Amino acid sequence: MRIRVLVLSVSLLLVACGGRDVSRTMNQNKGSDTLVNVAQSWAEHYRDKNPDVVVAVSGGGSGTGISALINGTVDIANASREMKPREIELARKNGVEPVLHVVGYDALAVYVHKDNPVESMTLAGLAEIYGEGGTTTRWSQLGLEVPGCGSDEIVRVSRQNSSGTFAYFRSAVLGRNRDYKMGSNDMHGSKDVVDLVEHTPCAIGYSGLAYATPAVKMVPLRREEGAEAVLPSVSTALDGSYPIARPLLMYTRGQPEGAVKAYLDWILSDEGQAIIAEKGYAPVGTLGR
Amino acid sequence: MFEKTALNVRNQRTQNLVRTLFLLMTVLLILPVLVILGVLVAKGGSMLSWEFLFGEPTNGMTAGGIFPALIGTVWLVAVALLASVPLGIAAAIYLSEYAPDNAFTRVINLAIINLAGVPSIVHALFGVGAFVLFFNFGVSILAASLTLAIMTLPVVIVATRESLQAVPQAFREACWNMGATRWQTIWKVVLPNAVSGILTGVILEVSRTAGETAPIMFTGAAFFLPLLPQSVNDPTMAMSLHLYVISTQVPGIPEALPYGVALVLILMVLCMNSVSIAFRMYLRGRKKW
Repeated sequence: MRIRVLVLSVSLLLVACGGRDVSRTMNQNKGSDTLVNVAQSWAEHYRDKNPDVVVAVSGGGSGTGISALINGTVDIANASREMKPREIELARKNGVEPVLHVVGYDALAVYVHKDNPVESMTLAGLAEIYGEGGTTTRWSQLGLEVPGCGSDEIVRVSRQNSSGTFAYFRSAVLGRNRDYKMGSNDMHGSKDVVDLVEHTPCAIGYSGLAYATPAVKMVPLRREEGAEAVLPSVSTALDGSYPIARPLLMYTRGQPEGAVKAYLDWILSDEGQAIIAEKGYAPVGTLGR
Repeated sequence: MFEKTALNVRNQRTQNLVRTLFLLMTVLLILPVLVILGVLVAKGGSMLSWEFLFGEPTNGMTAGGIFPALIGTVWLVAVALLASVPLGIAAAIYLSEYAPDNAFTRVINLAIINLAGVPSIVHALFGVGAFVLFFNFGVSILAASLTLAIMTLPVVIVATRESLQAVPQAFREACWNMGATRWQTIWKVVLPNAVSGILTGVILEVSRTAGETAPIMFTGAAFFLPLLPQSVNDPTMAMSLHLYVISTQVPGIPEALPYGVALVLILMVLCMNSVSIAFRMYLRGRKKW
């Protein structure tokens, strides 16, 4: 008897909790690990602005966000790459018309240990390190002697293949049809790459500029041999002189309306763009110019 | 008294050696637990405060509290228990008390063992396909908890079945001889004698449910969502995912923060379990055989 009463009251409680509060609107926002910290910061600040709207932010990678958009489980997908034609087709088949919004720019920095004496690299040189069939496997081949790296071997730090950063680095540095060399350390977060490089004298890695810390060194890059070496920064990403910078995107289901539109408008306003700039990315709109 | 023969002495020596060896192994077994707890308390103990437990994460999740994640985990565990405990106990009662030993029963047992061996990330994908998309629960506590429930069902079933089978057959036979039906025997005699074993299963389940990250990552847990869930249809933050996120994805996290979160997670599980542990001790005290 006592157990029956308990079961009954628990189920009643659940039903009572099941009534949705209509005054609260929730925006579901998921995707790119590159964007996730900015998205979190936007969500946090937007609450002060508009307490009735809650933004739920999740990471998982650009691919995760895009497939959630295709399946209709999110309102906004964050992506650090554009949707592939196949993905757009899939979305349309599900009755979702993805609409792209550029919310900022990201420069992909190449990180090495802070004791590494390297002065600059070319994109072709990077491709020889990371690309399939590339012949550069030792620091001495680049004429470098790296303190603390007794083995002389270049430890390549890369990303998991659902990451937009993984896909972008490949298309920008290796070329669309070239694969990564096997045997790299594939990390599951932008921050992990920088952490590993910080503690590994032999390492080289790529990650968003926003993840830079004083404990690692960023390598200035040359578009080709003889070109000027450019350090990644917000300004070099925006003026196009840094060779690996890309737009950061948000996809909505159709033209945004209501709470989603208000949120996106706020993100693109000076207030929202000041937040992305503070996180180390390049803003768009009036702040960017 | 008699003189010790060479054989006696040798036997005695072996005896002591084996005992010391096994004692050492037992100590080795508890060593990791002590070290983990010690490190967590030493490094994260300073984080524990009223604001940490009952505040919202602020400043890009590098400061503030963990209350939304704490409450989220309570919701996830509670709903998962509500779903899996009745189901698991019912299945175990059938398997132990009613099921004939035939091919069908053996297939069921095999399925349960296999279910226990499925990696949690596969459960996560199943949860996305079944609960989030097919049943259209969306990314929600309900979807995440049901995924967790399915993952932990084997724990409940196996623990319950074992404890039912530990009840001496003579108890049942005595009951049947008094003219009781099978159900009366189970309800009045077998179950009351098996409760403490069933509770052990529930304790194991609570710990596993609270600690799992993969199954909830895609089905119901958010990277950042400062408001408390109002119903099982809402997504939520969770302690395990929060710990994963702040230790791998967010730059600039103070070193003590992840340790503090881990410490609170362990204390939480301990609190939830201590209720059933106390109840179990009370029941064991009443046991007459």
